[in-house]
Amino acid sequence: MIRLKNVSKIYPPNLAALQNVSLHIKPGELVSIVGQSGTGKTTLAKLLFAEEQPTQGEVIIGGWDISKIKATEVPYLRRQLGVVFQDYKLLPQKTVFENVAFALESVGINGRRIKENVSQVLKIVNLADCAHRYPRQLSGGEQQRVAIARSLIHKPKIIVADEPTGNLDTINTHEIVNLLKKINEFGTTVVLVTHNRDIVNHLRRRVITLSDGQIISDEEEGRYRL
Amino acid sequence: MITLFRIIKSAFQHFFRNIWLSLTTVSVLVLTFLILDILLVLNLATNAAISNVESRVDISASFKVGTVTEDVQSAAAYLRSLVEVKEVSIVTPDEALESFKTKHADNPTILASLDEVGGNPFGYQLVIQANSVDNYPTILEALDHPSFRDKIEEKDFSDHELLLNRLSEISYKARLFGSIIFGIFLLIAVIIILNTVRVATFVHREEIAIMRLVGATGWFIRAPYLVEAIIFTLLALIISAAIIIPVSIALDPLFASYFETPAQLKNLFVYQSPIVFGLEFAAMATVCLVSTAVAMRKYLRV
Repeated sequence: MIRLKNVSKIYPPNLAALQNVSLHIKPGELVSIVGQSGTGKTTLAKLLFAEEQPTQGEVIIGGWDISKIKATEVPYLRRQLGVVFQDYKLLPQKTVFENVAFALESVGINGRRIKENVSQVLKIVNLADCAHRYPRQLSGGEQQRVAIARSLIHKPKIIVADEPTGNLDTINTHEIVNLLKKINEFGTTVVLVTHNRDIVNHLRRRVITLSDGQIISDEEEGRYRL
Repeated sequence: MITLFRIIKSAFQHFFRNIWLSLTTVSVLVLTFLILDILLVLNLATNAAISNVESRVDISASFKVGTVTEDVQSAAAYLRSLVEVKEVSIVTPDEALESFKTKHADNPTILASLDEVGGNPFGYQLVIQANSVDNYPTILEALDHPSFRDKIEEKDFSDHELLLNRLSEISYKARLFGSIIFGIFLLIAVIIILNTVRVATFVHREEIAIMRLVGATGWFIRAPYLVEAIIFTLLALIISAAIIIPVSIALDPLFASYFETPAQLKNLFVYQSPIVFGLEFAAMATVCLVSTAVAMRKYLRV
């Protein structure tokens, strides 16, 4: 499902964010990628949804080779992934419904089906009543749930969540993590990038630890050890 | 079809949900359209002033006394056939005499000299107006045509030659200066539009990046902004036309009487409005579309 082989990412002039990273994530796994700030976690996440290209090595995700992907193919890759960001990245001038529907509209799905799917996904994240609100009218936790709803709308096989709880309080953090667990239980592979010790220890799933751009540990049912 | 409908709907949503940014952009475009319209009026005024002065210039060819009417008419017909000639009028000896008497009515000495000469000392005259002051030398050459060259006693062009040459030079410089000013203001207008569109696009840069991250294609992201650019241009054109048309109707009599020309402002902005506003829209929409596409390209590289 996700395979990285000897991947390095060097930013000009000579900043190595990732060095010789290799890993394999199987379908249906929930994997936490942990590490302190500046260890390359976000760079790794960006490689997974093709926001960055590796300087060296091979990144295979859902059959796509990111190191060789063409710019015109990137939207098609992203439609097979769900991505959740720390700062939610919602469209401020669109309502909750429109934010979630946008990804489906862009592929030309008809209005009736969009309405059905969006309503369904908003129910999953418990935001059915907020469909016509704008992001600015929602709390941080609610905004992040909208972002998760948007990431689910294509029924992706993989969700990449880059510090999804970074801007949230404890209660909202647990809500989001439980939501990601629920999504994983339905069979979706979840890659959770975080530096939140409590989340990682609470999940008791596979943990990959990064330090200075290198994998220093990869444990099934791991704990946060930094 | 669904996608096209969504793109148009999305463009209108952008417009109304960012209403202050939209109004700012439209107001800048309205000012740009008005600058273009004012430049057109200035160009019209320059041309009207030059034409007005040029229309006062003519040359006259005096035929020898005794030249028969047929010869004069044949010379007039020949001159009328020239493209350089705008108008040829024939002054009969009687009309020439009458005009002379009227002109010198308050000078008994000159009038008495007519009695001395006895009879009508004037022959036929041809008064010739050219399409442009530059054409007078050609017309003068035409007056040397062998069939009537010997029948012409005098041509008064040489008296005005210096003045006409100067006028021709001034006309040329005035038009050149007008064109340069037009070009400079047009360039300023284009720069204003480019920057306005860039600012409007810059405000949306994060939205553009987000759309890209959730899997929208470049075209699906770009198209609503391009449609929005057309909405901006169209709305600005309607507002500027709503200002310039009544103003041109109101000022037209003043313009016409000042430059002694027929209704030119009204002709430009009312009777020729589909062409004038159509061209303005096409030019402005092209600039807006190109600058939007260029400004967006940077933010679409995610």
